Amino acid sequence: MNSINSKKNSSFYTLIFLPALLVILFLTIYPVVNTLFLSFFKYNYLSDDRRFIGLKNFITIGKDQVFRTAFLNTILFALFATVFEVALGIFLALMFYGQFPGKRPFMIMVIFPMMVSTMVVCAVWKVLYHYDIGLFNYILKSIGLAPVGWLTDKTRALSSIILVDIWQWTPFAFLVLQAGLNSIPREIFEASSIDGAGYFRNLRSVTLPILSSQILLVIMLRTIDTFRIFGKVYALTQGGPGNATETVSYYIYREGFSYFNLGRASAAALYVLAVIALIASFYIRGIMKEEN
Amino acid sequence: MTGSAMARKGVFFWIFMALVLATVLFPIYWILITAVKTPLENISPVPTFFPKIVTPENFVKVMETGFLRNLMNSVFVAFTSTGISLVLAFLASYALVRHNFPFKLNLIFLIWVLVVKILPPMVLSIPLYTLFTKVKLINSHWGLIMVYQVYTLPYCIWMLFGFMKSLPLEFEQAAEIDGASRMKILTHIVVPLSSGGIVATAIFSVIIAWDEFLFALLFIRTPSLQTLPLKIVSFITEYETLWGELMAIGLLATLPVLLFSGYYYKRLTDGFSMGLK
Repeated sequence: MNSINSKKNSSFYTLIFLPALLVILFLTIYPVVNTLFLSFFKYNYLSDDRRFIGLKNFITIGKDQVFRTAFLNTILFALFATVFEVALGIFLALMFYGQFPGKRPFMIMVIFPMMVSTMVVCAVWKVLYHYDIGLFNYILKSIGLAPVGWLTDKTRALSSIILVDIWQWTPFAFLVLQAGLNSIPREIFEASSIDGAGYFRNLRSVTLPILSSQILLVIMLRTIDTFRIFGKVYALTQGGPGNATETVSYYIYREGFSYFNLGRASAAALYVLAVIALIASFYIRGIMKEEN
Repeated sequence: MTGSAMARKGVFFWIFMALVLATVLFPIYWILITAVKTPLENISPVPTFFPKIVTPENFVKVMETGFLRNLMNSVFVAFTSTGISLVLAFLASYALVRHNFPFKLNLIFLIWVLVVKILPPMVLSIPLYTLFTKVKLINSHWGLIMVYQVYTLPYCIWMLFGFMKSLPLEFEQAAEIDGASRMKILTHIVVPLSSGGIVATAIFSVIIAWDEFLFALLFIRTPSLQTLPLKIVSFITEYETLWGELMAIGLLATLPVLLFSGYYYKRLTDGFSMGLK
């Protein structure tokens, strides 16, 4: 019998497990409990005025037009960014399937955008989008069209930020999906081609169903990531123009760290937490299935 | 490859490929040329695809604005956070792989780690901010390193746990029969055996900490303590016209990470693991 697995060493294992456990608990349980607590208070950090007000924060926020806009924007952002990233990722994965000259260097180039730091990505897109000196408006003007306020026009700013996210993260969807595609035995495609299935029938009835678990994984990872969108909004529009690009993370940031309404910011955080819990329950169920 | 319509690489394929590569590479090319153009050329309403004058001016100026200081801040914070996470995650993963804790603690802990990975950091920011202010860890790299464990620790645990699950028991058993202590088995047997996984985990964890923006924004007040993402964002939002310097910083901040693209590609094509990202 080995003692590596035995009860004799249980104190040793507890000892080496404890530090990570404590750090994780401290960094999560404490903040979540504290947020829950604060959300029942009217609490301004600057004046240090703290009063219990029950569920009032939740009601105020639920009625707050800005929060509703932020919520809608966040959902739109998560939805459109995820859909486009996954669709383009599938397209790229199919395109890169099989052998062709230059495959490896091309693939490495395609993943460059996700390796560029988010703030650098924002910087270059801000230049490209610039109203006066940006390349996009220059092209529009040179073909005789009116310039566009990519980040300053209320109707366009959110889609401009979504586009940046699509540029940066489609490569990630692509990488995961092509790994999935490559793990499908080639014979499956050959068999269905011999049966006379055309390319699109093949795609619909063979390839996509087999890829479905990878597609689901990418959808979940991208939803989780886009739902917390903050950095791009901060760098590109600061939530503006008006509230056109305000997202929930940005809303919490402003309530908490510009207005110092910690109670209200905590209540908003809990709304977000509820949505994330919903997404996470799907995600974790998926992972558990994978692990077994 | 015969028969599969996907494998046919005709002229359309190459047209699409050219379009894809152009879309992907163009903004990166734009970073590059903006960084070497003169400030005047950069604010011209007629953008130039090839710089009229190539100048190191922006890079020189960036050095004068204390870029190296910010670089060192980023290096220190990213590597220290990763180092701490690696040690904690390595020990915990080993315990999880080799020992069954009571009350299904193994499973509960791993799910909890996943939940932390999913949590939007903004949700944790308010209590952590008020707490760290109280204990005077705001505006300090150590405070930032501690709070970065929110990102790097769950990531490292999930990755290392995946790697260590497949470690064979025999070496550890043999060492034990030879009378090696538990600690010695860990450092002399388990660490070398999982070194590949440790290196991969370390690289991605450094990249995560390197790019982190939210907590850096909330926790760091003094410009000389800023990490690179903060430095970059201060250029974007405050000095709107210094595009050349902004891109020079961006380029310098990105190059070290871009060098790992090939490695990233290899890891991901070796088989995608759920733990990534």
